[in-house]
Amino acid sequence: MARKRNPARLVIALSVAAVLAVFLLYTSIAGGGTPSVAPSELSGKTGVVTLVGLVQPGYKGDPYGEGLRFQLRDRKGGSASRVTVLYTGSLSDQFRVNREVSVKGELRNGTFVAKKDSLVTKCPSKYTAKPSA
Amino acid sequence: MPELGRAALVATLGLVLYAVVAGGAAAWTRRRRLAASAQNALVGAFATTLVASGVLLAALVRNDFSFVYVAQNTSRELPTGYTISAFWGGQEGSLLLWLLILTGYAATAVFLNRRRARDLIVWVVPVLGAVALFFAFLVVVVATPFAVQTAPVDGAGLNPSLQNPYMLAHPPMLYLGYVGLTVPFAFAMGALLARRTDERWIVATRRWTLVAWTALGVGQLLGAHWAYEEVGWGGYYAWDPVENAALMPWLAATAFLHSVMIQEKRGMLRVWNVLLVVLAFSLSLFGTFLTRSGILSSIHSFTESSIGPWFLGFICVVVFSSLALVFARLPLLRARTRLESLVSREATFLYNNLLLIALTLTILWGVAYPILHEAVVGESRIVGAGYYNFFLRVFGLPLLLLMGIGPLVAWRRASLRSLGVTFAWPAGLALLAGAVLLALGAGSSIPGLVAYTFSAFVLGSIALEFVRGTRARRALAGGSWPGAFSALVARNRRRYGGYVVHAAIVMLAIGVAGSSAYDTVGEGKLVRGESLAVGDYRLTYRALDEREAANATELRAVLDVERGGEPLGTVAAGKNAYTAERQVSNEVGIRSDLVTGEDLFVIAEQVNPDGSVYLRVFVKPLVNVIWLAGLVFLLGALITLWPDAREQRRLAVRYGDARAPTSA
Repeated sequence: MARKRNPARLVIALSVAAVLAVFLLYTSIAGGGTPSVAPSELSGKTGVVTLVGLVQPGYKGDPYGEGLRFQLRDRKGGSASRVTVLYTGSLSDQFRVNREVSVKGELRNGTFVAKKDSLVTKCPSKYTAKPSA
Repeated sequence: MPELGRAALVATLGLVLYAVVAGGAAAWTRRRRLAASAQNALVGAFATTLVASGVLLAALVRNDFSFVYVAQNTSRELPTGYTISAFWGGQEGSLLLWLLILTGYAATAVFLNRRRARDLIVWVVPVLGAVALFFAFLVVVVATPFAVQTAPVDGAGLNPSLQNPYMLAHPPMLYLGYVGLTVPFAFAMGALLARRTDERWIVATRRWTLVAWTALGVGQLLGAHWAYEEVGWGGYYAWDPVENAALMPWLAATAFLHSVMIQEKRGMLRVWNVLLVVLAFSLSLFGTFLTRSGILSSIHSFTESSIGPWFLGFICVVVFSSLALVFARLPLLRARTRLESLVSREATFLYNNLLLIALTLTILWGVAYPILHEAVVGESRIVGAGYYNFFLRVFGLPLLLLMGIGPLVAWRRASLRSLGVTFAWPAGLALLAGAVLLALGAGSSIPGLVAYTFSAFVLGSIALEFVRGTRARRALAGGSWPGAFSALVARNRRRYGGYVVHAAIVMLAIGVAGSSAYDTVGEGKLVRGESLAVGDYRLTYRALDEREAANATELRAVLDVERGGEPLGTVAAGKNAYTAERQVSNEVGIRSDLVTGEDLFVIAEQVNPDGSVYLRVFVKPLVNVIWLAGLVFLLGALITLWPDAREQRRLAVRYGDARAPTSA
């Protein structure tokens, strides 16, 4: 006599298959996230990316008007690469020189043109690195 | 003083090490006195950790800047409440708090169960000791809160964004939740080690799991409210890895709380339940790893400290040793019964579990994907809110619907005819609500409309359950309707407390859908006397006020608010400039309508030297229902947690003991 299968196993197997199908559908349509690049890696990149780096001295302009222009450099390593960013939209009070930010946009004629309101300044909240002596 | 703190922590390390070694040996050789001494060591570890915590707290309150930790996290101007909250405002202090809660939970669990679940507790002690050993090692060797220096004149202060009343409660609540998951994990492992794989470990830890789960839930809502008020971007949840770190173990614990009912009632899902406990505990460790390793891109900036690799190693040990133990005990974990029908109470609980775990794992994938992608492809990626929102709808909306279906379906097997009768009223109410909302224009967001329709269905089914139960109680015992209602809830706290929690989750869904799918936003630069219209509101910029507070200069743009031509008073938004910390923080203005649950949310993005301000204004319908849901959630959890002597007697009979294991 054939052994009766447990329906719970069937439910679990079908559920896993359904989840995988939905997941594959999503990733094939929407892609797997936005590439996150450092300023030294931006050259040659096309399309929308998230640029992550440290704010350099000398930013100017009005993010709520014609736009804020600032430069970013790599968080790590000694690369001298600097990328100029043009940004409009909400700007956190935490934005300042040497603060790490991420901003979404694309490179156009040597300037990284950011999407409106896409700038995120990392919150120096708990567990921040100890200040250097 | 720092010497006392260090000595106390070294004593804790020694005591928990003893609890592991002596406890393990006692369990293996069945030596009762050695087991009792290992249990006492665990209780002693709580006492010594309490001493160490007292030393740090005293140093914080006394502004003793010879403690490096105190100097880095407080200043003389910091109000006392925030000076105390600096205990968990930095890495070393938060790890000490973790250890304090862990040893406190361990001592309580051992004390309450040492006589009633003796065969289990002898194995639970070394497991609890092993987890405590890891944290004691961290605060003694890797990140001590008792490092000293030549005292500076003043401290660096506490980050302004943490100077918010919600920060007094949010982190400790999360820790109570994260650490609380250690107890069910330890009992599950203890049961496997002791080869006692019946429902006893579940009964012994049910309330522990509920406490941890409630604390995690309330902690997240407090954090969401803090973000809403303090961070000031107009939202309350950003799918940041750090937020997800708390959500994932909560979802896994939610699945566990539902699936244990199937094991208790039908003896099914034994392997699944042990795996869920391992998953929930591992995710709580993973969350801590995320927040301390600096491995992920987050809006929070974390130090890339030496703690990360230790955590990763510990997580690997926990996961692999737990899975190996589960595998070794598989023959003992076979279910006593089978799922009889795909249309039954246990089947709907199973669907609920699968959806919860699918949601948990997709969130985990979103968190881990950037790390894996960088490791494999060499390019970092960021997974945005779109990914999480998509899966929240795919898995969350069916979950919402199941909350209304599950409790009304019969155990074992239900016929379609009986389902039709049972669900006629809730389904009718849901369809009516959907139609009315569609006519009112809610069709602008299909997920929002679906969420509201499902919410009406669930609320209808919960109300139906209360009405039927009260009517039956009154028919049985007589008396008034309120009396019958009270008796119904008092005699079935777990069931009706659960329904109240379900109602809270529905309210949460209503608030989230309303505030995110149907919000309105406007922005503009105003000089004094100018107005900005957003939704039905009109805001007129009247004045710019400046005042000196204890530790900051407060600048506020004062705006007159009107709706439909009717004046509603003023709202003020601006900035605080903190003196010691040399930082500026956004201080949003919020005007809540407690009747409709709507908020007018004003951010002064920029205050210009000429006195003009750049404002961003949100109208957020139903957002206050989210915070109200938190109170209802807490009420439901308390009803469920409240001790029930009748249930204890029933469990005692069931498990053949003089008394059942104490739950909490």
